[in-house]
Amino acid sequence: MAGVSLRKVVKRFGDNEVVHGVDLEIRHNEFVVLVGPSGCGKSTILRMIAGLEEITAGEIAIGDRVINELAPKDRDIAMVFQDYALYPHLTVFKNLSFGLEMQKLPTAEIKDRVEHAARILNITQFLDRKPRQLSGGQRQRVAMGRAIVRRPNVFLFDEPLSNLDAKLRTQMRTEIKKLHQTVQTTVIYVTHDQIEAMTLADRIVVLRDGYIEQIGSPDEVYNRPNSVFVAGFIGAPTMNFVRCRAEGGDGGLALRLADGSALAVSPALQERFGRHRDRELVLGIRPEFFQLVPGGNGAHIAPRIHVVEPLGSDTLFFFDLAGSEVVARMPPLTGLEPGDPLPLAIDMDKTHLFDAETEKAV
Amino acid sequence: MAFAIRKKRTRELLLIWFFLAPSLLIFALYRIIPLLWNGVLSFEFWSPYKPAEFAGLYHYEEMILYDDVFWQSFWNTAVFMASAPIGILFALVIALLVDTPIRGRNVYRTIVFMSYPVMTVAVGIIWQWLYNEDVGLINYILRSLGMSGRGIPFLNSSTYALPAVIVASIWQVVGFYMIILLTGLQNIPQSLYEAASIDGASAWQRFKRITLPLLRPSIFLCFVIGIINSFTNFDLIYVMTDGGPSHATELLVTYIYRVAFKLGQFDYAAALTIVNFAFFVFLAWLANRLSGGEAGAVEST
Repeated sequence: MAGVSLRKVVKRFGDNEVVHGVDLEIRHNEFVVLVGPSGCGKSTILRMIAGLEEITAGEIAIGDRVINELAPKDRDIAMVFQDYALYPHLTVFKNLSFGLEMQKLPTAEIKDRVEHAARILNITQFLDRKPRQLSGGQRQRVAMGRAIVRRPNVFLFDEPLSNLDAKLRTQMRTEIKKLHQTVQTTVIYVTHDQIEAMTLADRIVVLRDGYIEQIGSPDEVYNRPNSVFVAGFIGAPTMNFVRCRAEGGDGGLALRLADGSALAVSPALQERFGRHRDRELVLGIRPEFFQLVPGGNGAHIAPRIHVVEPLGSDTLFFFDLAGSEVVARMPPLTGLEPGDPLPLAIDMDKTHLFDAETEKAV
Repeated sequence: MAFAIRKKRTRELLLIWFFLAPSLLIFALYRIIPLLWNGVLSFEFWSPYKPAEFAGLYHYEEMILYDDVFWQSFWNTAVFMASAPIGILFALVIALLVDTPIRGRNVYRTIVFMSYPVMTVAVGIIWQWLYNEDVGLINYILRSLGMSGRGIPFLNSSTYALPAVIVASIWQVVGFYMIILLTGLQNIPQSLYEAASIDGASAWQRFKRITLPLLRPSIFLCFVIGIINSFTNFDLIYVMTDGGPSHATELLVTYIYRVAFKLGQFDYAAALTIVNFAFFVFLAWLANRLSGGEAGAVEST
C-alpha cells in the first residue's frame, strides 16, 4: 500500500530551476499521468521519484517514508525507460531476473516470478533470445516485465511508447491499461502525448515550465480546462481560440470579435457572458461543437472553407474566424469543398471563456 | 532485346573493372606478388649473385632445430604480446577516470592520447634518455630515493632491456587503447546504468555486469592492436636497443631485418617471414574467434 507524495519539490540544474515547488498527492493504486510539452519538467519529476536525480528542495514520500536520501534500489519502485534500457548482452530471461538476482532471491523463486511475468506479457517464447532479436513491441514488453517481476509499490513509466509506431502504440496503450488492472499498483506515467494521458489516466497532471497547470480526471481537464494552455494541450484537433468582447446588455448581449462581427448569444446564456461584459476575452470552441446549418437559418457564422480533411469517421473543415484559423469537426461526406460557404451554429453552451490577459478560465 | 541487355551488362562490368584496376594493380604489385615470391624464396637457396636452387624444407629445419636466436626472438615476441593486457588494464583505468564528469577531463584525455601520434622513433629516443645510466631521469629518481647506488644500465642489461622496451611501447600505445575504450564506454547508454541501479546493482556490480561485458568488443580490438604491435614494433626496438644486448630484445621482425639486410641471407629471412606471418594469422584468427567475430563492434539494444 503506497501512495506517493510530492511536497514543494524543487529541482535546479546549476542556476537553472526547472521544477518550481511542485505539490502532488498520488493515491495508492492510482494511475497518474504527467503530461506536458518537452521541457516542462515531467521527466525530471519522475527521475526524482526514481532516485536518478537529486531533489534540490522539498520532499518526496512513498507511503509514509520520505525517500529523498534513499538509493533507487531501496525505494521499492520499478521504472520502464523510453529506450527500454534492456541489457543487450543478456537474454530476456536474464534481463528479467537481473534485479531479483541482485536481491539474492532463491533461484526457484526467481524462475517462478520471471515465468509468471512472461506469461502475463505473452513473452514466454522469447525468454532465451537477446533483446536485439526482438521487435520494438516485444522489447517494450520485456521492459515492462522487468518492472513487474520486482513487485514494486510504484511503477514509473518514462514515455514508454514514444519509440513505437502508431499502430503498436495504440495496442501497447491498451496493454498497459490491462496490466494496471491486473497488477494493481500505483503508476506514474510520463508522456507528451495527450491521447495517452486521456486514455490511461485516473488523473492527469498537466505541467508547463516546471509548474503544475492543472490536476484532474481526464473528463475534468478536457471539459473544464482552467487555462488556455490546458485547453489547447488536451484534445485533438486542439480547441479553437478566438478573441472577443461581451458587449451590449439587457437581452441584447453579443460577443464582438476582432473583425467587428458579432456572435449572438441566446437568452439562456445572457447571464453567463454578461458577467464578463466589456472585458478582453478568449472564446474557446472545441472543433466538435460546431453544427452545420444547411439552410443557413440560425447560423452564427458562414465562413468560406480553406481546407477539407476527410478522416473517414469525420471530416475536418479549416476556415478563418475573425483572423484566427479555426477547425470544425463534422460528420463525413457533407459534399462541401474549399471555397464553399460553411453556415455553422456554435454550441455556445459548451464554449469556454478565458481572460485574454491571464489566460485563465473565467 | 537479350543482346541489348547483355551489351549493357558488359559495359557495366568494364566500368567496374576500370575503377578497380588501379588499386588492384598496386595491391598485387606490392602485397600479393612479394608475399608469393617470399613463399617461393623460402624453399630455395638464393642470393643476389647466384642462380636459385631448390632447397626444400632446409631453411625451416635450420630455423626450428638449430637457430637459438629464432627461438629467442619468437619468445620475446610472445612476451611483448603478453604484455598487452597490462597496457589495456592501464588504459581501462584511465578511460574510466576520464569518463567521469571531472573538471578538465578533455584536457586529460588529450594529454593521455598525445603519446600516440608521436613518431615511434622520437618515443624511442625519449625513453633512451629516460633510461640512460648516467643522466637518465629514472636512474636519477632511483638514486635520489637511495634505491640504487650506481645507475642501472636498463637498455644494456639482458634482464631489464626487454621490460624497459615494453614499458616504452605500452606508454606509447596506452593513449590509443584509452580512446578505443572510451568510445566503447560512451556507447553504453546511461539508461542501462540507471536501470541497473534501480535493479539494485552496486557500483562494482554495474561495472562487472554491464560495463565489462558491453566493453568486450572494444577490449578485444585493443588486444588485436596489441598483437599487431608486437609484430610490427620494429622502429622502437631498432632505435632503443637494435635487438640487443645479445638478442635480449630481438623480436621476430627485427631478426628478419637483421638476417636479410645485415647478414644478406634473403632466403632464410624469407622462411622466417613465412613463420612470422603464419604465427600472426593464427593469433588474429584466434582473437577474432574468441571475441565471437565482433572485435570493435558496438553492441546495440
